[in-house]
Amino acid sequence: MRKITVPIGPQHPLLKEPLSMKLEISGERVLGGTLRLGYVHRGIEKLAQQRTYVQNVHLIERICGICSHVHTTTYCSAVEAILGIEIPPRAQYIRALMCELERIHSHLLWLGILAKHVGLDTIFMHAWHDRELVLDIMESISGGRVSHAANEIGGVRFDLDEENETLIRTNISKLHDQVSGVLDVIENEPALQARTRGVAPISTDLIRQYCMVGPIARASGLDVDLRRDDPWPPYDRLDFNVITHPDGDAWARTIVRAEETRESLHLCEAILRDLPGGDVTVRAPRKVPAGEAVTRSEAPRGEVFYYLRSDGSDQPARLKIRTPTLPALSLLPEQLSAINVADIPVVLAGIDLCIACADR
Amino acid sequence: MSQIRFDEWVREIREAVGCECEPYDGIQNEYTIRIPAANLRDVMGILKDRFDCYHLSAITAQQHEDRPEELEVIYHFWKGEGISFVMTLPLESLVIESITPDLPGADFYERELAELYGVSFSGREEIPPLLLPDDWNQPPPFLSKKD
Repeated sequence: MRKITVPIGPQHPLLKEPLSMKLEISGERVLGGTLRLGYVHRGIEKLAQQRTYVQNVHLIERICGICSHVHTTTYCSAVEAILGIEIPPRAQYIRALMCELERIHSHLLWLGILAKHVGLDTIFMHAWHDRELVLDIMESISGGRVSHAANEIGGVRFDLDEENETLIRTNISKLHDQVSGVLDVIENEPALQARTRGVAPISTDLIRQYCMVGPIARASGLDVDLRRDDPWPPYDRLDFNVITHPDGDAWARTIVRAEETRESLHLCEAILRDLPGGDVTVRAPRKVPAGEAVTRSEAPRGEVFYYLRSDGSDQPARLKIRTPTLPALSLLPEQLSAINVADIPVVLAGIDLCIACADR
Repeated sequence: MSQIRFDEWVREIREAVGCECEPYDGIQNEYTIRIPAANLRDVMGILKDRFDCYHLSAITAQQHEDRPEELEVIYHFWKGEGISFVMTLPLESLVIESITPDLPGADFYERELAELYGVSFSGREEIPPLLLPDDWNQPPPFLSKKD
């Protein structure tokens, strides 16, 4: 059958952010393709070298509109490592609480997008409705729904008061019921299974070869999670299950993220239960002594990596950022080979793309 | 990884590859080894085959203010903890052997370095554009080079 090349993007209704794909298609089968990034490349690493450490907290927050908090957490941790300061225990717990809330809202956002792509509008509406409960919590803590400005070098800018804690407990309790309900539906919904089971499976070997991270790696049976395997406080004191699945297909990726949402709800409750008292910040100097540090965090999509070098001034000499979508995109051409055209949206949704993160 | 285990890694790499292999304690949270760029592919083979260490988190390139005539490249691996390999390249010969035949996941990281810093990777096909515009005809934007 004749082979044709179909360009998708950089602007396309299928994509939430700009990405260019050229797919080789024969009949209804996709044979392979190539990718082109850079449409939202803002040169953030270079910009960071022209701003102070304090200004950079706000620049870094704008890398991503979904996981903004984990980026600033990882950046601040790198600066604090070179400064040799340890943030107060209460600040560690509040940072982790925000990270878990972010994971819940990111996974619910993703579930809604997947459901929309496979034609299950009811699940889409439920998932996005439930996500509002998380955004309400974040807004009550920081005043922002997606950009929270919660972190500063030396701790967090917002403390939790009784009103916050009551809202968190109430909304987390509601979310437990609603997420369980959605999980029950997706586990038993034949249409979702028909669209995801056996679609674009990734073997554990391929996951390792492509340095994959996060839920995609775990959905192919790779038991890895930085919160457990390379923990930063307070995750070294928190107990949770790392969700894995052996199948490696779009279905496995769905189940892993859905189950992870439930684990994050438990983690939020544990963090509130164990929340220590005391200050939420320590004073940090504006100039950072010469030094280098690497920090990693487990974002909703997997490992976020920061390398920071200071030359003793008030601006970084080098800031390197690697986000989890970048390795996921490097495997995308492989995933898009030997699938049906109708499965392209499911494969893209299964990756949980964040192009702004990947481009920086 | 304990310090003892790290020392074992250094010794084994030194014996197997026969190259200079110096521990460097400048990077916090990361065990670091300085190696010659020419030995990267061999070291990569040891990492995968002997230590089952295959996860490449990132590749960092940077120029130091006191050494503007060279580019420092750091390969950041992870196996429970971070382990990095640092090498330096003279600006007049920015060439490294590609590790994509052993680790296809290094593809995008190498392409980024090629575009933003002008590094050439031997042993792989021509690198297509990844981040910069198609009509980019300026020098690599992140590289400072005095003529």
